[in-house]
Amino acid sequence: MYILEQLVNGLCQGSIYALMAIGYAVIYGVVGLVTFTYGEIIMMGSFSAFYYFIAFGDNLLFALVAGFITAALVGVIVHKVCYQRFLDAPRYISLICTIGMSMFLKNFATLVFGSEMKGMPTFFEGKFISLAGIRINYLQLMIMGIVILFSVGLTVFLKKTRIGMKLRAVSQDKKAAALVGINVKNTTLLGNCIGCGLGGVAGILLGVYYNSVLPTMGGMAGLKAFSAMVLGGLGSITGAAVGGVVIGVTENLGIAFASSGLRDVFAFALLVVVLIVRPQGLFGKKGN
Amino acid sequence: MIKKILVVVLCLTLVVGILSACQKTEDVSVYKLGVAAPITGNYAEYGKGFQVATQMAVDKINAAGGVNGKMLELVVMDSKGDAKEATEVARKFVENEEILAVVGDFSSTCSMAAAPIYTEAKMVQLSPTSSHPDFAGMSEYMFGVMGRQDAEGPFVAEYLAQKYTDANKMAIIYLNNDWGVSAHQNIVKRAEQIGLEITTIENFVDGEKDFTATLTKIRQTNPDTLCLVMFYNELVIIAKQIKQMGWDDLKVIALGPGISEQIIDLGGADVEGIATSTPFMVTEENKTAYDFAMEFETKAGFTLNVHSACAYDAVFMLSKAIGNLGKDVTREAIAGELSAMKDFVGVTGPIVFSAAGDVTRKYLIAQIVNSEWVQMTDYSYVK
Amino acid sequence: MIDKIKNFYTQHKTLVILGLIVMALILPLLIQKSSIMSIIVKMLFYVILASSLNIINGYSGQFNIGHAGFVLIGSYTLAILAQLNISVWILYPLAGVVTAILGLLIALPTLRLRGIYLALVTLGFSEILRLVALNWTSLTGGPMGIKGIPSPWLFGLQSTKPHIYYYIVLAFVIICLFTSYRVINSKVGRAWMSIREDDHAAMSLGVDIKKYKAINFMFGAFWAGVGGALMAPFYKFIDSTMFSLDEGFNILSMVIIGGQGTLIGPVVGSVVVNSITEIFRFADEARLLVYAILIISMMWIRPQGLAGTSKSVIANRGIGSKKTNIFTRIFDKKGVK
Repeated sequence: MYILEQLVNGLCQGSIYALMAIGYAVIYGVVGLVTFTYGEIIMMGSFSAFYYFIAFGDNLLFALVAGFITAALVGVIVHKVCYQRFLDAPRYISLICTIGMSMFLKNFATLVFGSEMKGMPTFFEGKFISLAGIRINYLQLMIMGIVILFSVGLTVFLKKTRIGMKLRAVSQDKKAAALVGINVKNTTLLGNCIGCGLGGVAGILLGVYYNSVLPTMGGMAGLKAFSAMVLGGLGSITGAAVGGVVIGVTENLGIAFASSGLRDVFAFALLVVVLIVRPQGLFGKKGN
Repeated sequence: MIKKILVVVLCLTLVVGILSACQKTEDVSVYKLGVAAPITGNYAEYGKGFQVATQMAVDKINAAGGVNGKMLELVVMDSKGDAKEATEVARKFVENEEILAVVGDFSSTCSMAAAPIYTEAKMVQLSPTSSHPDFAGMSEYMFGVMGRQDAEGPFVAEYLAQKYTDANKMAIIYLNNDWGVSAHQNIVKRAEQIGLEITTIENFVDGEKDFTATLTKIRQTNPDTLCLVMFYNELVIIAKQIKQMGWDDLKVIALGPGISEQIIDLGGADVEGIATSTPFMVTEENKTAYDFAMEFETKAGFTLNVHSACAYDAVFMLSKAIGNLGKDVTREAIAGELSAMKDFVGVTGPIVFSAAGDVTRKYLIAQIVNSEWVQMTDYSYVK
Repeated sequence: MIDKIKNFYTQHKTLVILGLIVMALILPLLIQKSSIMSIIVKMLFYVILASSLNIINGYSGQFNIGHAGFVLIGSYTLAILAQLNISVWILYPLAGVVTAILGLLIALPTLRLRGIYLALVTLGFSEILRLVALNWTSLTGGPMGIKGIPSPWLFGLQSTKPHIYYYIVLAFVIICLFTSYRVINSKVGRAWMSIREDDHAAMSLGVDIKKYKAINFMFGAFWAGVGGALMAPFYKFIDSTMFSLDEGFNILSMVIIGGQGTLIGPVVGSVVVNSITEIFRFADEARLLVYAILIISMMWIRPQGLAGTSKSVIANRGIGSKKTNIFTRIFDKKGVK
């Protein structure tokens, strides 16, 4: 019973990680570059929802849309500054750019929004359902629901629509995509924006679930998203989602059996072990 | 072309930077105090609080005519919460002959890394918040205002938990830094002496957001009271998650956040009933503290916390020490004057330094009733 | 302008190096203020740390972004063993050796990982080490850290003052740069570079990739450990917050801003980055904002790094254009993947 409860905790936390990781996987797949700005995109999404709630009242649905758009717009800036110019260059150059950009956004947020922690409105005040004695509250259900909705929606979008196919083509082979007449430049930008938008949504869920919005909230979140994506296997959407859930569950079970101060040790130890045993990640193809 | 313009702009900023770094204003009609605080970085919130509170203190002293007819002036330097930068800031303050004493730093890490440098220069480092048990004892020039944990910890165990809250079985979650460790150790020590059962002790690393796993684990041990040793941000998150779990019969007490209004702003109904130990109360009867808290809120953009209040008092202590010295103000003399000061009462209550240079404070119990901090006991409760 | 400096350097190599060494030796006599001297000492620390990272990232093309973990091991090794009254002079190299062994332990299972995977493993290790240092209270002092780390005696002088400690660090910097120079120009160094350029080609030419990658990691880790060990007595106090991931990113930025894969690059990077953060102190709250903008613009103007040659593949890439040549693609493959 106790283990089941911890499992539910892990699943809920893992589903937020999963959404962040999916966004990261889209960005990595399409742009092909590692980014350390992603955490700050998440933070910007969270802040945009915070101000949205103040200005227009507590409507979560519209806030999610607003967060998606804001994060996507920040994504455009990040793309112009950090990726576009360096797509053909050695990748560490854009990596340093993203580290600089992350520092910029974090300090910008501190200056403009203030450094203190801010709260979010409460949704579904304390309501919960009981499943065989385990409480799952509405908020957890809603978060898992939104995450599943977005993952399924994204998969359908990538598989069924023309733009989705273009995105997949670009992520598989930029040159071949260009040869068949796809505008690689714009498609890359679009893919980056979608990924960032997903990050923004994850940021809002993060803010609402933990009721806290902070300029420094992005650091660890971005890192977990990155880890979850690599754990799942590069560029694989399913892999990223599973990676996120696995990390969430591992952390929570780790806390259940050992000290809670060691949370990140469990996450990273799992990552290191998996990568040593299976260098391509859980769902990655060999030779990738 | 763009490249060239960028290069020129870069060079210009560098030159301007160097020039402004070299600028010096010599003014003998002022007393200068240094403030070392994390203005940028992960603790920027507290650094901002330091900056605003110390400036308010100086404005108030100057408006009342200054000290010995001279005005006070602050020199604020950013230590970024980084021990390496803290030592550089310390060296700069030490070299600037005009600076008499330093208020800072926020974290014990920074204060302790800087301590040997200040000590060598016989300069006072009066830290509002460093509460590492060894900090103040490092030399006769190190002082801590926050209050010794071997006073507050036992108070929380014996009076807040056992006597006030009727706790029989208590669980503890603490912030894993030097302050959290010494605070919770002192609670545990006294709890053992008075027969208060501690069911489990959990810790977390700064920045943690998800406590559901920890709380589920603690719930297994079936405590009736939960003691939170941390600041306001994690406390609010934990309070919310306790309510989300539907764990309604748990009594929550806290050590550390003090009577922070942010807890109520952020926590709403979920923090109702939380009791905490605090060295002081901000009520309308306590005029100085109340006015200070209101003014701080408008200037800083967030409500007063205990750290900033301590920084405010630190400046007043230094100004009083300088005032007592009269004409012969030297860096070294300020230390002697501070340790000899017996009658100082600041917004955070009376402050008298022990031989080591830290403060053994007296505590009140405050509780959130109808979304407001209410003082439940007075200082005589300890008797 | 940078290229002119370079040309002058290549023409009068010995003269320039001798001049620099003489200048370095008399520097403390010219600078009175110990605050400036302590910043210079900090620069020297980072010269060693950035150089050691450059050995790994710049010369063998592996991608380590968790360098702070190695620094942590070096610092803690010295701090813990110094409590046993072992002379600090012995502990400097010993800390390096301990870190090198750890580097080997990390390198062995991860030899077949490349690019982004290796990057993430190093990052994970760095974070794990930091958290272990935070939680293993009996050994590391946990959140209390270790204070009162003794500093060595030099010519009968206690070396706490930056003016004196400077010479100790300078000596190690010179040894570090000199050994790096010798190793890079030896068979080992050429093997590293062949792995960086094309590991398959290197393998087919009979280079034992695993062995040389392991040596590379050990050499880099050794100097990171020495660098960390040098820092501990200077600051006298260490705790786990000093070795966060940001610290690792900081070292990485120095390497890349200075110029990856060049001996002088990390030196330039350390000096420039540390001066920038110091100079922009007047910007107050916006200090790191300005620093961030500078990092980004540096990458736009001079992506090969300040000391990177403008004849390098990266500089001639015509970044932003579609021109690519065979070298580019080879180089690319060795970057983050």
